[in-house]
Amino acid sequence: MFSKILIANRGEIALRILRACRVLGVGSVVAYSEADRESLPVQLADEAICIGPADARRSYLSAPAVISAALVTGSEAIHPGYGFLSEDEGFAEVVRAHGLTFIGPPADVLERFASKEATRGLLGGHGLPTIPGSNGMLRDDAHAVDEADRIGYPVLIKPSAGGGGKGMRMVRTRRELETALKVCRSEARAAFGDDSLYLEKWLEDNRHVEVQVAIDRFGHGVHLGERDCSVQRRHQKILEEAPTPALPPAARLDLAERALAAVTAAGYENVGTLEFLVDGHGDFYFIEINCRIQVEHPVTEMLSGVDLVETQIRIAAGEPLGFSQADIVMRGHAIEFRINAEDPAHEFRPSAGVIERFVAPGGPGVRLDSHAYAGYDVPPYYDSLLGKLIVWGPDRPTAIARSRVALDEMLIEGLPTNISIHEALLANETFLEGRWTTNLLDRVGSAAFLAAASRG
Amino acid sequence: MAGRSRSSAGRGDAPEPAVEPSAERDAAARLADHAAIDRLADELLPALSAKLAASSLGEIEVREGDWRIRLRRPSDGIAPSSRRSADRPSRTQPGHAGHGHAPAAVEGHRAAGSRDGTVPLAVGPGHPTDGDGSGTRGAARAVATSPAVGIFQPRPELRPGSRVRSGDRLGFVDVLGVRQEVVSPVDGIVGASLVEGGDAVEYGQELVRLEPSGSGS
Repeated sequence: MFSKILIANRGEIALRILRACRVLGVGSVVAYSEADRESLPVQLADEAICIGPADARRSYLSAPAVISAALVTGSEAIHPGYGFLSEDEGFAEVVRAHGLTFIGPPADVLERFASKEATRGLLGGHGLPTIPGSNGMLRDDAHAVDEADRIGYPVLIKPSAGGGGKGMRMVRTRRELETALKVCRSEARAAFGDDSLYLEKWLEDNRHVEVQVAIDRFGHGVHLGERDCSVQRRHQKILEEAPTPALPPAARLDLAERALAAVTAAGYENVGTLEFLVDGHGDFYFIEINCRIQVEHPVTEMLSGVDLVETQIRIAAGEPLGFSQADIVMRGHAIEFRINAEDPAHEFRPSAGVIERFVAPGGPGVRLDSHAYAGYDVPPYYDSLLGKLIVWGPDRPTAIARSRVALDEMLIEGLPTNISIHEALLANETFLEGRWTTNLLDRVGSAAFLAAASRG
Repeated sequence: MAGRSRSSAGRGDAPEPAVEPSAERDAAARLADHAAIDRLADELLPALSAKLAASSLGEIEVREGDWRIRLRRPSDGIAPSSRRSADRPSRTQPGHAGHGHAPAAVEGHRAAGSRDGTVPLAVGPGHPTDGDGSGTRGAARAVATSPAVGIFQPRPELRPGSRVRSGDRLGFVDVLGVRQEVVSPVDGIVGASLVEGGDAVEYGQELVRLEPSGSGS
């Protein structure tokens, strides 16, 4: 095991990693930007070191700053959290070259899974169904039209690089396709410097379901079931739960087992998540892999009792997993609510400022992972996540009932938050019946959804 | 739950002196002015500086009698960085004694060294009156800070008392074998070194004190 770990992230995940280090008895150093000097992980840290200014490119995204900080503090490993440098295979390689350990998959594994297109091919070859799509990148408009005819409309135009909805369009006709190709090319070029596009079959009413795996260096792996992340706003998850209400137990087990088998065969190492779309018939299609700890990992921790961050650190240190599939028992139902500093009254634009009052909820099955506190000045430079409320119950109705109480108790004053949208979801029949799909919120419109909930 | 405004008031305003005399005055008024300046410099400025650093505001302005003082955050997007309220001895914080990353540049007639308001200086009070010199106090102090996290190496030939120009190299911070220069923020005289050569330093850490020339005379 490492003697000391540098935590190269901020916010709630820096605190989560700090806690895991303490449980393991491992020393830790929190690396922070000037804007995060007053944040909770920095205040609670055994050691903290300022690595740069507020601008993430010169702090959390700066490989030299992070590695230099690790070296001068005598750290042996770097935990990148999520976002920032967490899936950068170049960074992982430079970390290794400096005699340090990257806490995540080794650089060569990250590289193997770096391209979404190549990963779909790789895992498709190991038995995972993928969404029908174009054969490789689109050469020109004529090629795009031919491929769309073969796949069948509607189709989704997607850029090879990047994410976040840029360069993406769903089209229902050949005419729409021809117009949208130009727009997508220029958007993709502007956003990612790469205008190559491909087509995917558009699945009308789909669910986003992902499988958590953990595989050690010796190829011994387990799956920890799935999470349903269908509640999204503009491709951003806002609520996650497990198990998924979309699939019966046998289908969930089948999905998880096939995901684990494929990714193990492909040589994956450490914790990771395979994302799938599940259509209205219960058919699933692999879309991408996340080679890191995810925001929504606590949902799985609540069901399994496994500390995923601790597991991630132990695997990176070369330890065997220490448990097998038979040891894992998934109990009950858990829901995670992402509490964001966003203003629902203004298109959910990010908010910043001082938190005047902060009351954390409690009670059976309630967990709050948050770096916020009363008096904390939320900086405007980073993502708007203030924390995650995770609520467990022996079954979904109990988890929902406990969630209502917890959300009602939770108090954040001084800046707007998105708590109201969670309260609206818990009052919504489609959600309560477990029939929510990924594009529902955007189709209704978040503002209209909130307005309808307050009238109801 | 209303949102807080983080806007910076008047950043686009026409330049105006932050501390300015009102009009003609008699001796009594002059005395009152000096008292006001003393209070502004001694009490208000440090308090305001701390308040600005701890807040999300871009600028703070207060009035005292006929005088007003305005502090403005550096305009390059540097974050608020107030000092820790309680440093723990167990923490690796080599550079947090004294006031480190002073985020606010003081605007004034003679705010020494504040070239464009973006230099991370620990700047003393400006002196608005040139007339009889009774408002003059100790020289402004400046500090060269670390541009990066790494190992500090001072220029060996520099000694306390050496004369340097603004932009002169005082040493470097080694970041994975790449040298990042530490430069003097002012024309002046090298004072005390706050860290030893070969020490690990963090971003923004105070390294070398400087006494700006031309001030305090």
